[in-house]
Amino acid sequence: MQDINNHNHQSDIPQEMQKPKIRFRVSWQIIFVGLMFLYMYLPILVLTFYSFNESRYSAGWQGFTLQWYVKLFQDTRILSALKNSLTVGLSAVAISSVIGTLMAVGLSRFRFPGKGIYLGISYLPLIVPDIAIAVSTLVFLAALAIPLSLSTIIGAHVVFCLAYVALVVSTRLADLDPHLEEAALDLGATPDQAFIKVLLPQLMPGIISGCLLAFVLSMDDFLIASFTAGSGATTLPMEIFSRIRTGVKPDINALSVILIIGSGLLAFAAEFLRNQNQKN
Amino acid sequence: MQTRRGFLQSTMAAAIASSASGCGWTLGEIKTTPSTRFSSDTLYIYTWAGYTDRDLLERFTQETGLRVVADVFDSNEAMLARIQAGGAGAYSIIYPSEYMVQKMVALGLLAELDHTLIVGLEDLFPKFQNPDYDPNSTYSVPLSWGTTGLIYNSRLLSSSPEDWEDLWTYQDQLNRRLTLLNDVREVMGASLRRLGYSYNSTNPREINQAYQELVKLRGAIASFTTDAWRPQMIVGDLLLAMCYSSDAAEVMPENEDLEYITPVSGSSLWIDTLVIPKSAPNPEGAYQWINFMLRPDIATQIVERLSFATPSLVAYRQLPQELREDPALFPPESVIANSETVSPLPPEITALFDRYWTRLTSG
Amino acid sequence: MAVSTPPKTPYEPPTTPAKTGLSEIWSKLAGPLIMLGPAGVWLLLLLVFPTLVIFQLSLVENIRPGDVVIPDGLGNYLRVFETINLRVIARSVNFAIGTTVFCLLLGFPVAYWIAIMAPPKSRNLLLLGFVLPLWTSSLLRSYAWITILRPTGVLNSFLGLLGLPTLALLNSSPAVLIGMTYSYLPYMVTVLYASLEKLDRRLLEASADLGAVPPETFWKITVPQAKTGIIAGSLLVFISSLGDFVDPELLGGASSMTVSRLIYNQFLGATQNWGFGSALSMVLIFGVSIAIALLIRYGDGRPSK
Repeated sequence: MQDINNHNHQSDIPQEMQKPKIRFRVSWQIIFVGLMFLYMYLPILVLTFYSFNESRYSAGWQGFTLQWYVKLFQDTRILSALKNSLTVGLSAVAISSVIGTLMAVGLSRFRFPGKGIYLGISYLPLIVPDIAIAVSTLVFLAALAIPLSLSTIIGAHVVFCLAYVALVVSTRLADLDPHLEEAALDLGATPDQAFIKVLLPQLMPGIISGCLLAFVLSMDDFLIASFTAGSGATTLPMEIFSRIRTGVKPDINALSVILIIGSGLLAFAAEFLRNQNQKN
Repeated sequence: MQTRRGFLQSTMAAAIASSASGCGWTLGEIKTTPSTRFSSDTLYIYTWAGYTDRDLLERFTQETGLRVVADVFDSNEAMLARIQAGGAGAYSIIYPSEYMVQKMVALGLLAELDHTLIVGLEDLFPKFQNPDYDPNSTYSVPLSWGTTGLIYNSRLLSSSPEDWEDLWTYQDQLNRRLTLLNDVREVMGASLRRLGYSYNSTNPREINQAYQELVKLRGAIASFTTDAWRPQMIVGDLLLAMCYSSDAAEVMPENEDLEYITPVSGSSLWIDTLVIPKSAPNPEGAYQWINFMLRPDIATQIVERLSFATPSLVAYRQLPQELREDPALFPPESVIANSETVSPLPPEITALFDRYWTRLTSG
Repeated sequence: MAVSTPPKTPYEPPTTPAKTGLSEIWSKLAGPLIMLGPAGVWLLLLLVFPTLVIFQLSLVENIRPGDVVIPDGLGNYLRVFETINLRVIARSVNFAIGTTVFCLLLGFPVAYWIAIMAPPKSRNLLLLGFVLPLWTSSLLRSYAWITILRPTGVLNSFLGLLGLPTLALLNSSPAVLIGMTYSYLPYMVTVLYASLEKLDRRLLEASADLGAVPPETFWKITVPQAKTGIIAGSLLVFISSLGDFVDPELLGGASSMTVSRLIYNQFLGATQNWGFGSALSMVLIFGVSIAIALLIRYGDGRPSK
């Protein structure tokens, strides 16, 4: 990724910010970002390393083996837990992306009595401690005699997913150009058309980041899931957390490696397709 | 924003109003009827993560035709909280530890066992047939047991510890390469036992003394952990760790310098049991499971594959000699005689323990 | 794009031709109802009611499951303000502030570089790449940090290779900060990126053309434009790290009790004092709400264009 040196004297400016031209060089910004990427991936590399280790513990190297990967594919518990987690995550994100975005747009647009309370409540999922909300949700569901299942986990997850989606979307909303939508209306679009064709595309990056964030949080949530899950509806974090007690077996490391590689490939493919689309 | 202040005020008002109106309900009322899903071909069990592996479940299904769905928990209290908060009625078999059995009996959660339906109770060691925590095995069947002790690196430690006292004696040498269990009753109990008191002491003066002694030890403690010591012990970063005997039995093969001792002045004896809740959907299946686990051939497999000590005398006799003589799995009788099970304490004493624990772990 | 009226504030409800009577009321209500209704109902059922349960429990001393709920005073709250508990809360807040500051310091350059300096086509990929480690269980990643930071771990082996002295990082506060910053950095970067990505490059170029030195451009143009992102990201990281008890426990050593672990112990420990746990939760909720309110009021000036 090298390029010719910038022609001006910015090399002696000790600030980390330079003139934002698209061209760049191997400056120390890139080194810094590279270090940060290393920081992010260091534990992943450690997990990968130990997923090939003969030893069951993250101790010394005892030889290369693929046995943990083999064990992983035979471990029906983990695989069904993974399936449950994915189901919960995708469902929760799907639901919360829609109602969360609507909520964010609605909050920025309308005034009504009690708006302050509504706004405050929309922040609440971020603030309440996990364990408290987990136990009290279960108490509440039990009081209403609602049977627990995978759906109750989804219901509980939507709560914090929509808070995150709304947060990210409203951050983006706050800095958008308000003129565009007004202009569309002036040009004759109905409010619905203006929303779908003008506002939504502008919000899309925010919606997507919010969804990503929410999905990751849902996949990683342990406490809320373990209290709102029905019997037999075990999610991946529940499985992992309980296995920790008997020593993390490297097959879970193997699972993590596969998940990362899998989602990395998926993301790369999606991005590639999107770029292709944009070219046409 | 003003709306934010307004929000705070109005929520306070709403909250107070609603709490005033909705009082008098019972928190966590235990359901004693099974949840509507009653099936005679599936068995739902609630167990520890290390207790069931695929082979075991498949074998059971082969022999009885019942499908087994196992949910896992990682601590007794989490299991109880979930059962009480609303999760009862889903499981036919639960795996509580011995003190939790007492608690659950007191809460009216457990069904009395029909001994005529159980095969193998007489195969147990005598001391497990009529245990303190559950006289006459009315509600529970023991499944595995062990002690709490010390695992240490014999090469790196200058002399081998034999008792809790040695933690304090070797304090300087240990120098933050020591871990204790992340469990208030185990840690405080060990300190109590070292002073000559019982794990289940209800005397505030004794408890305070035990706490003060632990404060003196604190400089040598690296952390309180129940499981994270394992890789660090194997690599030699830690010299000594307080641990459960079954964990030690699992870890020791990884490093030949590691040894395990149960302190001679006694430690805590833990017993994991099988119980059937009152609201079990499939009681017949539950009895089949119990009988399956009590069978000597299955019990020996549990010892060999999962490193738990078995309470079954018949199974014990069938084990290879090296397992029978493993001090981590089967400590000597003298030590067991000195050990006691941790039993539930009155709420004020538990609260006292909790306060000391908070102080101990937050320095 | 001709604009007929000067913009007042963003998002005044778009004007529609006046209708009469019911249909007018309906058209006024339909919008808010459709947009805010579903989320509102969901939050009410699965968030507000459980929170009220917590609030009610916090007013009962020594309540445990099986007891009848009869509010009897503020004893639990008084206990929250005992010295030992305040110390635990203070420790949690310290960790949270430290984590937020580090995430901001480390995350802003990364977000800036990806949003502004990296080639446009690879931006999404770079961001995704940075966030990808989040897809592994946070518990596993925290355990991996033990392997990295322990006395004979990855870091010290590496330092040893270079001939540098080893660091006794594990079981201390720096280790906790390293672990927690790691856990929440991707969130900060994501939120900052969303904000920086729509930064108008022309403003930066214009500023440079007008003779501003890069630091001036940065502090006078870039940072104010990214203010919403900075505030949102900081809030997100602060609140999340306040609720994290895994990292301090695994990495912090013997004196690492945090408020979230304390709450956890009340609900899932031997004492089963759900009342005290609820009171701690309510104090946490109120404290953080007030912090949010202040921060938003302080940072509420919209950047003028």
